[in-house]
Amino acid sequence: MNKTGKMKGRSLYIVSAFIAATLFTGCAKDKYIDEAGNLVPKTAEQDPSLPSILVNGALLHAEAFGPPDSAMVVVLHGGPGGDYRYLLKSKALADQGYRVVFYDQRGSGLSQRFPHSSYYMEVITDELQGVIDHYRTSPSQKVFLFGHSWGAMLASAFVNEHPAEIDGLVLGEPGGLVWQDVKDYVGRSWSSGTIMSESVNDATYLDQMITGKGSEHEILDYKYSLFTSEESSLLGNEGRFPFWRVGYVCNRAMFKLGDENTPDWTTNLHLYTTKVLFLYSENNQAYGREWAQRVSSGYPNVELFEVKEAGHDFPAFEKGWNHSYPVILNYLNSLK
Amino acid sequence: MNHIKPNTMKTIVKIILAGMAVLVTPGFISAQTINWGSLGKEDKHVLNLNAGWDYGVAFGTGYGYHFDIRSLNMPLVLDIGYSFPSGRDILEDFKVKIGGKISLYEIRNIHFIASVYGVFRRYENDFVRMVNFGSDLSAIIGYYRPHWFVAGEFGFDKAVVSNFRHSSAYKEIYPGVKDGWYVPPMGGNYHFGLQAGYSFRQHDFYLSFGRVTSQDWKTTPMVPYYAQVGYNFRIRTSGHKPSNATQVP
Repeated sequence: MNKTGKMKGRSLYIVSAFIAATLFTGCAKDKYIDEAGNLVPKTAEQDPSLPSILVNGALLHAEAFGPPDSAMVVVLHGGPGGDYRYLLKSKALADQGYRVVFYDQRGSGLSQRFPHSSYYMEVITDELQGVIDHYRTSPSQKVFLFGHSWGAMLASAFVNEHPAEIDGLVLGEPGGLVWQDVKDYVGRSWSSGTIMSESVNDATYLDQMITGKGSEHEILDYKYSLFTSEESSLLGNEGRFPFWRVGYVCNRAMFKLGDENTPDWTTNLHLYTTKVLFLYSENNQAYGREWAQRVSSGYPNVELFEVKEAGHDFPAFEKGWNHSYPVILNYLNSLK
Repeated sequence: MNHIKPNTMKTIVKIILAGMAVLVTPGFISAQTINWGSLGKEDKHVLNLNAGWDYGVAFGTGYGYHFDIRSLNMPLVLDIGYSFPSGRDILEDFKVKIGGKISLYEIRNIHFIASVYGVFRRYENDFVRMVNFGSDLSAIIGYYRPHWFVAGEFGFDKAVVSNFRHSSAYKEIYPGVKDGWYVPPMGGNYHFGLQAGYSFRQHDFYLSFGRVTSQDWKTTPMVPYYAQVGYNFRIRTSGHKPSNATQVP
């Protein structure tokens, strides 16, 4: 090799060593998408500073406000897999003397995650019973449920199992209380996206950049969170509602269970004679009074109320909450 | 509109290295589907238009250069392809593939083809802007005649390294989200399917379709299929004698 050749060889070696060294030191600070806290918030078992309670072996992100011994309102979030962040305006009930309890259901929000195979409807209703038992200070303390969307379905499933245990029920747009109604409503509410729409593109194009196995919760939750950036315009919301984390595995597991078991949560509702406050929104094009009448028909004593200037997630937004709060408060006060 | 932050040496070096890495690592829907039976030595340039389902309704175009490596008797086409999905904001998301395909062996009109591509992808929605460097490697075996072909393909599309930059909307949801470069495991999908096409004069029309599954072989993308219809126009260079392949029907 001549002198020029040797110099070229040495230069290449130096450049290669520099690139390798830079890559190595750079990679040491690189991040992993499946690492807790990088792309989605840590859950209660990953971050001990989060307020939590242990119920039936699950560490649930939970908070309670208001006098501990006064009538309790347990707030149930939507999803399945959502969280209670968007329902925090309901804290106002604590100022009216109620004990207001929030919790993220297992696998949802900031609560502990569980594998797909661990989800059963009985586990979810038992968990609600556990939360009530945790916060209840005496057998005479009244318990009200305020459920929104999936949370209203869960509340109805619980009342269907335990008609005598709940002293009042506020339901906000449950998709349905029999599974076929749930499927019909979900299908209707997401029918605005065509195959060439931005929302469909946003959801599907991502699949080539991030993939996650069933056990890789961080990746799946993050992907699912990104899907929510484009919401169906049919729902009529004032904007994008706040959340912490969407529990993908929980969501998929509960829908799979529904498809397999086709539950009917109305079989014992005729035994629940207390008046139910049933709220539906003016702007949700997939719902409406007719659907509200159909879904609530299992209850013998129902007051239907249309929340004006609001969409499906009305408790999250100013107009929706301002229009519904006085009605909810009056209802609870009448049963207190 | 979000952009890549190009102001650090580390970032630049990473981009270059990732680009180099993807060119030598294993790949999805080929940027161009070629009828090797009609590709003559005088067909030096291949222009391509395509449309189909590629993780969304997508449209693409490409250019390929055909190398006549007589000593090896292995036709090689180096090409670049650009595609974008439909939607409201068509410039937010796109994919560029650079690489090539080579017919490694041919016997009785059956070709054994390998294709290797480096892939640059961009994705943006209201929550995040991602750029990704990846690779796309495929193996294709097919029966190629001057006027038609049918082939099977199997490949792996890997997202190697990605940069995330989140919007203020997502930072309201999660203020602690960490922007920056993320390294493997990012994601990867296998794909397998069929190709078929019809050729005449300088024109190829083709169809490819198949299934996509994630790298764990258990989960799938939201739509676990791909499909593409495309058109190639081969430009002949003067001074080359037409090959037998293009003369014999």
